[in-house]
Amino acid sequence: MIINHPHWSSDLTIPRSVYVHVPFCRHRCGYCNFTLVANRDEWVEGYLNAIEKEISAVNVGMPAPQEVDTVFLGGGTPSHLSADQLERLIYILTNKFLFASEIEFSIEANPNDITAEKVELLSSLGVNRFSLGVQSFNSKKLQTLERDHDAQVVRDAIDTIRKRVADISIDLIIGSPGETLESWQNDLDDVLSINPTHISTYSLTIEKGTQFWNRWNRGDLNEVSEDSAADYYETGIDFLTNNGFDHYEVSNFSRYGFRCRHNENYWLGKSYYGFGPGAASYIDGMRGMNHRSTSRYLQLVQSGQSPTVESELVDAEASAREKLIFGLRRIQGIDVNAYREETGYTVFELAEKDMNRLLVQKLLELEDQTLRLTRSGLLVSDSIWPLFL
Amino acid sequence: MKQIRNFCIIAHIDHGKSTLADRLIQVCGGVSLRDLHDQMLDSMDIERERGITIKSNTISLDYKAKNGNDYLLNLIDTPGHVDFSHEVRRSLMACEGALIIVDASQGVEAQTVANLYLALEHDLELLPVINKIDLPSADVERAREAIDAELGLDPLEAIPVSAKAGIGIEEVLEGIVERLPSPTGDPDAPLKALIFDAHFDKYRGVILQCRVMEGTLRPKDTIHFMHANRDFTVDELGYNQFKLVPKTQLQAGEVGYIVAGVKSVQDIEIGDTITLLDRPADEPIPGYQEAKQVVFSSIYPMSTDQYVDLTKALDKLAINDAALTYEKDSSAALGFGFRCGFLGLLHLDVVQERIQREFDIGLVISAPSVKYILELTDGSTVEVDNPSYWPEPMTIQSASEPYIKASILTPESYVGPVMELCREHRSESQTMNYLSAGRIEVISEMPLGEVLFDFYGKLKMITRGYGSFDYEPIEYRKTDVVKVDILVNKEPVDTLSYLVHREKARTRALHYCERLAKEIPRHQFKIPIQGVIGGNVIARTTIAPFRKDVTEKLYGGDVTRKKKLLEKQKKGKAKMKQFGSVNIPQKAFVSVLRADND
Repeated sequence: MIINHPHWSSDLTIPRSVYVHVPFCRHRCGYCNFTLVANRDEWVEGYLNAIEKEISAVNVGMPAPQEVDTVFLGGGTPSHLSADQLERLIYILTNKFLFASEIEFSIEANPNDITAEKVELLSSLGVNRFSLGVQSFNSKKLQTLERDHDAQVVRDAIDTIRKRVADISIDLIIGSPGETLESWQNDLDDVLSINPTHISTYSLTIEKGTQFWNRWNRGDLNEVSEDSAADYYETGIDFLTNNGFDHYEVSNFSRYGFRCRHNENYWLGKSYYGFGPGAASYIDGMRGMNHRSTSRYLQLVQSGQSPTVESELVDAEASAREKLIFGLRRIQGIDVNAYREETGYTVFELAEKDMNRLLVQKLLELEDQTLRLTRSGLLVSDSIWPLFL
Repeated sequence: MKQIRNFCIIAHIDHGKSTLADRLIQVCGGVSLRDLHDQMLDSMDIERERGITIKSNTISLDYKAKNGNDYLLNLIDTPGHVDFSHEVRRSLMACEGALIIVDASQGVEAQTVANLYLALEHDLELLPVINKIDLPSADVERAREAIDAELGLDPLEAIPVSAKAGIGIEEVLEGIVERLPSPTGDPDAPLKALIFDAHFDKYRGVILQCRVMEGTLRPKDTIHFMHANRDFTVDELGYNQFKLVPKTQLQAGEVGYIVAGVKSVQDIEIGDTITLLDRPADEPIPGYQEAKQVVFSSIYPMSTDQYVDLTKALDKLAINDAALTYEKDSSAALGFGFRCGFLGLLHLDVVQERIQREFDIGLVISAPSVKYILELTDGSTVEVDNPSYWPEPMTIQSASEPYIKASILTPESYVGPVMELCREHRSESQTMNYLSAGRIEVISEMPLGEVLFDFYGKLKMITRGYGSFDYEPIEYRKTDVVKVDILVNKEPVDTLSYLVHREKARTRALHYCERLAKEIPRHQFKIPIQGVIGGNVIARTTIAPFRKDVTEKLYGGDVTRKKKLLEKQKKGKAKMKQFGSVNIPQKAFVSVLRADND
């Protein structure tokens, strides 16, 4: 037993990552259960005021501006805002935060929203990474997913972005209703032909509260089988790694040097700010979550109250357990020595008898002091995590 | 002396027995409206939820009839299930009459008929009541036809009521007074009183419910239990009127309670006859049947540290449940537990559910078994009801198992399937008796062990609920029994072992394997499930490993949500029992014991 556990997590440092949730969309897609509002553009001004107020309340008394390494504008659809609105949002951020010279500044965008003017503006304001919600290159699949673009729109958007910004990530959805191995392979071929720096693939999950859920409940929507979903997922991993992408996290692939540092920060259990409705933050060992309803968020902030409606103090052991679980999502795994240095715990004392079994069953492997998921472990990783809690 | 009527209410589940009882109580002023909980007589939670009565209750009501006389109406409640048929019999023995409730929209159901026959057997006068006449679907005339055709009672005597709406309650009370007979008996004869129920009260000890048949009982008398052969001195006696109302005597015809320093229900026999030690009756009231445990099963706490709690829970239950027996048992997989004896499967169910609900102890139960008698090759004889103590097959010279005479009442149209069902359950002979109104009694001699494995459920299914079933043990007969072990991922799970006739071994083993394959969640690896006799595999299934179980999207905002989800999953795991590296949920142990609900 190790004594001298730090009482709180080791991340007492001021966060160096900022997430801003932009909840606006043109349309709510059938599979989406994110925090967003569609067709409420008249709320944008109020939203920007609220963001400004929320951000200004952070670390009052600290010498401003604070330096940050990563900024992520997520949504919703941040690109749905007008150029002026985006400019104001970014000014709000630069008022409080100083962008480090190596800043990674990402924005999520709908290919339809991409114009030379917007790209020009965003890039001049420091945005250096675009994450495009492409989902597929197949028109039929895009229709099923209720996306309002097609393959040509995507290609045009990428050409436009590339004139100013090199780091482009593309999101793909695996296993949309009606997906076959062939249609998925076509998407993989297409994405490779575009040659982005980064790719995220997500199997479609039918979540409560979505249109898809209702349709699925009525029997109007066929989910792909578990076996097919596994096949497609593995096909994607093999294809992308064979073509020079680094599979660095469960769902994420990058060209060398283009991992998403903002997201790595999450998996490493480091601290971060989060602003906007539904945004999460992790500051001084305290996890906070803002109200998920946009209107309620606006009300709370306008009336001078905190929009954070859930919070949880993560003690040293819980933080160590989180770091084990979320750290193993990174395919490179966890350096067990560095882990012990950082958390004060060994991975073995936290997992007790299960660790041995997982190693024997080859769901985990330990090599050169690095603990990582095997391929079969990766595929069933959700059944492993509860053992570490 | 007041005029007395002793009666019970016979009804199918949900036909409103408890509601009618409440109304009768209310009209007679037995309890103020404010104190009138819904369905007063069914006091246990399980009874209310399942709509069945397990323990009887008794209430004495004062009623001033239209003829100007005061009456004392003793309502004696009856349990409603075959496992407790001896309790029904005891309750009926305390009565002269019964109300038979028929649902105005659903007509006559099997349980009503079964209990009606029991009531006729005890020479009870019957008064039909048509309930729920306030429902839109009520059809009183059809209900009258059913009373005539299916119950063989006078349809014109039936009283239409709505217990819920309070319609016709006075008429029922008048009917009880006018049409049910008053008790007979000689108050000066030697005492003969039937103990038809008892319950434990933490302040007063056991409170006995009795019906005095002959003679008179007074405080300070020394009573003698004729079957149990034990003596107690009466401290107090009186009427049950929601509170106990002490009296100076109970005499022939009366129903009341006795407090006599009895410490536990286990000390006496319910159904026993009491008499006076100094002036005993010649013989007890006929019809006494000892409560006999015929089903044995081991129960273990889900988590081994709850063993002490389980011990306390059983001690508490047994104080009130004379029919429950238990002794310490242990399992390689589950640690310490108890081997329990039950009256039947429902009794097992009820005990198990009460332990879980009232004492919050999760249980794992082993397959119920009968008691086998084995002659060993060394000439000795052993009784075995627990697979763990099954001797080496080589050492068994011969085995025998208990047989019953089952009596099944069914509408004529289902006779074929019922006979078939009996044959499937190794019935050795079936005979038929034609009863009235197209109903047939099938008498079947069959092994008791065969009715333990969901015979009743199947009977209900093939007769669409109209079949009813009762049985009495007859004798032990030679049999060919084997012990089947169940291996999960190559490891035997000792609580899943069971004893079964060789012919049935494979089918049952396959059922076990399939049920387990359904209830055990997929794991990260392939799990073979096998049924084996000795070293021979007789059935197998495999649980395929899951292929994909992975959260693909996990970023800052998802961490808290994901952690909550993981914690929930972890709790779910805690409800499972781990065998080797396989988690078996508690409900898997229950599901293998059921043949229905597919």
